[in-house]
Amino acid sequence: MRKNFSGTWATFEYLDDMCAAIGELKSGGFTRITTHAPCPRHEIDHALGNPQSRVPFFTLAGGLLGFGAAVLIITQMAFDWVLPVSGKPILSVPNMVLIAFVFAILTAVYFTIGGISLLILRDTLKHPVPQSSRYRDYDRFMRDRFGIVVPCENNQLETVENILKKHRAEEVHLEN
Amino acid sequence: MSQLTYGNINDKVVNSLEPPGKSWMISMAVFLAVLGMGAFALVVQIRHGLEWSGINHPIAWGVYITNFVFWIEIGHGGTLVSAVLFLTRARFRNSICRASEAMTVFAVMTAGLFPLIHMGRTWLFYWLIPYPNQRELWVNFKSPLIWDVFAIATYLSVSMVFFVLGLLPDLAAAGDESKGLKRFFYRIAALRFRGTNHQWLHYVRGYVLFAAVATALIFSVASIVSWDFAVSSLPGWHTTIFGPYFLAGAIFSGCAMLMAIVIPLRRVFPGFEELIKIDDLESLAKLLLFTSLIVTYVYAVEFFMAYYSGAPFERAIYWFRAFGESNLLFWLVVTCNAVVPIALWFKKVRRNIPALFIISLVILVGMWLERFVIVISSTAHGFSPFAWANYHFEWAEIWITLGSFGWFFMWIFIMVKMVPFIAAAEMKERLTPPFRIRK
Repeated sequence: MRKNFSGTWATFEYLDDMCAAIGELKSGGFTRITTHAPCPRHEIDHALGNPQSRVPFFTLAGGLLGFGAAVLIITQMAFDWVLPVSGKPILSVPNMVLIAFVFAILTAVYFTIGGISLLILRDTLKHPVPQSSRYRDYDRFMRDRFGIVVPCENNQLETVENILKKHRAEEVHLEN
Repeated sequence: MSQLTYGNINDKVVNSLEPPGKSWMISMAVFLAVLGMGAFALVVQIRHGLEWSGINHPIAWGVYITNFVFWIEIGHGGTLVSAVLFLTRARFRNSICRASEAMTVFAVMTAGLFPLIHMGRTWLFYWLIPYPNQRELWVNFKSPLIWDVFAIATYLSVSMVFFVLGLLPDLAAAGDESKGLKRFFYRIAALRFRGTNHQWLHYVRGYVLFAAVATALIFSVASIVSWDFAVSSLPGWHTTIFGPYFLAGAIFSGCAMLMAIVIPLRRVFPGFEELIKIDDLESLAKLLLFTSLIVTYVYAVEFFMAYYSGAPFERAIYWFRAFGESNLLFWLVVTCNAVVPIALWFKKVRRNIPALFIISLVILVGMWLERFVIVISSTAHGFSPFAWANYHFEWAEIWITLGSFGWFFMWIFIMVKMVPFIAAAEMKERLTPPFRIRK
């Protein structure tokens, strides 16, 4: 059962206001911030300290696994039922590389999807967001508004609220 | 024309998801009728065998393989726009990338049907897959047809995932903008995407990687399709230029099909005119011109190499193409793919929507004929003069071919009404974000 959320969330009309608020919140020790934006913006990444994604490791792992698996499968099949065709080798490396390359791409893609899903799930669990219907039903994050969610203790709510209001948040909601 | 903002991009995109009107219904009825005729022809062909197609000795590869190559390469053009232009940060791509991704998926779906139709005994298609069996008899990995199975299955799979991944933010936006059941379904389809920094971070990185692997994939799939021909020892097919030749042709025909799809879309949905700008179409026209030049160069090189090789059979096949019984088709290919696109050198033509639409249709006809000429001529005019022949079209293959267009456009029309056909999130990335202090 997920613990009840305690914290604040706010919406912003302007991106620079939100980035300034993120900067001040981070310097105030509030680091488990979740932001919302209608599209990816580098300004937000810079304000959050340029977090890096580990998705490429999943892609690499998938690619290597697929290539290796294809080589093993083709080798096994070639020797399991030998198809002698004139002087051609029973196991042809150029042909094997073709299939292995394509198979590597296939597994790399599925590993990438798995990586994206797992990493988003992990980050979402580490950065709680409100469960209230007011937050869930707010429908402008994918339209034209930016948002910040800051989990904090009850005694810090006022501090966070002041920071958000100082940076001209459009709406500020306290959740506890 | 109003200034584009984050909000009105959503409005314009979501407006296109309103229930379909009369013109959509009529178009859909036409596509379904053509598809129905194609399906009927296929059933007749399955019942009676390949005698109902023009495939006969010595021309063992006919219209179905032509269609296969044509459709698979339409897909490549779509991937070029959605993946390669993404990696090169071409800004004109943002407005047309969703259409190109959808086009890729449906073109590859269509292409995948043709090897099965060509087999005749379609129900035995699973023999192409290395499945465990009692005799432990495996497929022959040295056969280019097996390479095709892997390449196309992978390409279809990757294109679908790429398409769905790109849709997530826009489905979330469509969910937020809708009411009732529509909202419910869009939100489920969006997989709880709400544009958080964690979601965007991994999504964007994953998308870049997808674009990178899709780029590698189109190079390999185009080459593999070309090797279906090139690894044989027939004159006219056995040439190392086929890989890049097919890739350039793929991009050429894919861009033409994309143009033929987005121009009517722009007309049907008034809001789209502001999203798919004339500058974007002009950039696409430049791409058409560039690939036309490559294709023209390859036509010239093929003839030069045939002459310069001194090989009599190679010379004979190119002479046959240009001056044999089917020379009209060859000269049509040259006209459609090399001569007509010359008009795109002129800015006035590149910015003239009806002209672009007509040129793209002409190119599509030319590219289909090009594949037909390649497929047919080498088998029709092989090493032994006693076995030379001409290809005769049969009604079943004509309807199956037309049916494939009905099938393709049916999916495009369904998708236009079901999912945002312009990538709203990517369009927003093109805009300067709302700043209080103007930069």
